[in-house]
Amino acid sequence: MRTEFLYSLIFFVPVFIIQTTLVQFITWNAIAPNFILILLVFYSVKNGQLYGTILGFVYGLLFDLITGGLLGSAMLSNTIAGFLAGYFSNENKRHIFFKPYNFGLIVLLCSIIASIIYSIFSTFDFSTNIITSLFEDGLLPGLYTSFVAIIIMYFYPRRKLIES
Amino acid sequence: MLKIFAIFWNKFKEYIVLVILIIASLFALSNNNNSAVKNVRTIAFSSFAVFSNIVSDITSSTSIKNENHKLRKMNAKLMLQVNLLREYGIENQELKRLLLLKDTTSFPLISASVVSKSLNTKSNTFTLNSGKKEGVKPGMPVVNDMGFIGMVYTVSDNYSIIRTLRNVDLHITVKDERSRVNAILAWDGDDLILTNIPKTSDIKIGDRIVSSDISTIVPLSLPLGYITSINNSSSDIFNRVKIKSFADLISVENVFIIKIVKSVQVKKLQLNFYNKD
Repeated sequence: MRTEFLYSLIFFVPVFIIQTTLVQFITWNAIAPNFILILLVFYSVKNGQLYGTILGFVYGLLFDLITGGLLGSAMLSNTIAGFLAGYFSNENKRHIFFKPYNFGLIVLLCSIIASIIYSIFSTFDFSTNIITSLFEDGLLPGLYTSFVAIIIMYFYPRRKLIES
Repeated sequence: MLKIFAIFWNKFKEYIVLVILIIASLFALSNNNNSAVKNVRTIAFSSFAVFSNIVSDITSSTSIKNENHKLRKMNAKLMLQVNLLREYGIENQELKRLLLLKDTTSFPLISASVVSKSLNTKSNTFTLNSGKKEGVKPGMPVVNDMGFIGMVYTVSDNYSIIRTLRNVDLHITVKDERSRVNAILAWDGDDLILTNIPKTSDIKIGDRIVSSDISTIVPLSLPLGYITSINNSSSDIFNRVKIKSFADLISVENVFIIKIVKSVQVKKLQLNFYNKD
């Protein structure tokens, strides 16, 4: 398990670099897919809720420190996202949850929750319309992230993953 | 006792860890301005910026061809403008000499490239490949050929992080270039808006907005954007004015850092004003 955790930290480096350098080319009106969240959901479903919660905290900490954002906002949102994704970690049903559309739905749920929490804690501005805010900060980035997650899982060798 | 704790832990360990990590996150949220946190952040982002810089160099080379074409076109336009401005400059110098005014417009520029971007709807930050070694300090304004981009927030030896205009934490005192009305410019998560503008103020759609001379963080006039809409709500005494920035704050790649920081003398004077002893 320790080696697995080390691998998940090593994988964070290239994914973070992609998130901060290449994602700008597929950004639409500042709405960008969150590759770090996809990686987090993947590991949470694969290794369980406790693993996902701790990994979410570590990913959030690194993200906040490196991007210069409000320290704690991504930590909190990713911790909760990892915890939520961990509910879908079940050895008997893993092959179902790793199917592209199912995985996309899990990412959508986690992404919406994480985006809303991140948005609330990074702005503290409650004067804007809450429905518009939920739509723009939660649903749109969530849909985009889940769409990207479906594409990634479509090409990912699931059989090898389930066998392992 | 230990047995009870072990049973409790085994049954609820996920929830216990979740609560502990949420408390740790909230603690971190309340300690953002701690100097130790700032030091750790500086080390973390400067270490990662090295990798981001390599990837950024590779990706930017693919877009160089298109950029060259645009730059050649812009170069021709700028050449014509420079010619015109040179004439104005000579005339201006002569007039200033006549008025015995001290020329304060020569600010040194530090060129930098954006090596990574944290893009989201609320708090955009960019990492630049210029740092303390080039003389960059927190608080320096960042511009490109179109106008104001943002403000330096944290600096390491070779890199710096800037808060862009699309960041809810950046508030700037600005003015309407035509009517000289002052206001506060801020990003509300969706739009750039001007706050504190009474309904009686003389503002029009299309007016150019520049940074105000009275601003303590951008103490020179820099173009920011233009007014796109004025929302005249009947229930409010202030107008909600939307601004479109001149600079494209998403696709920007090369910027200049203006080597000035807010006046320490002015700040001290203002603090003395509030001292009651």
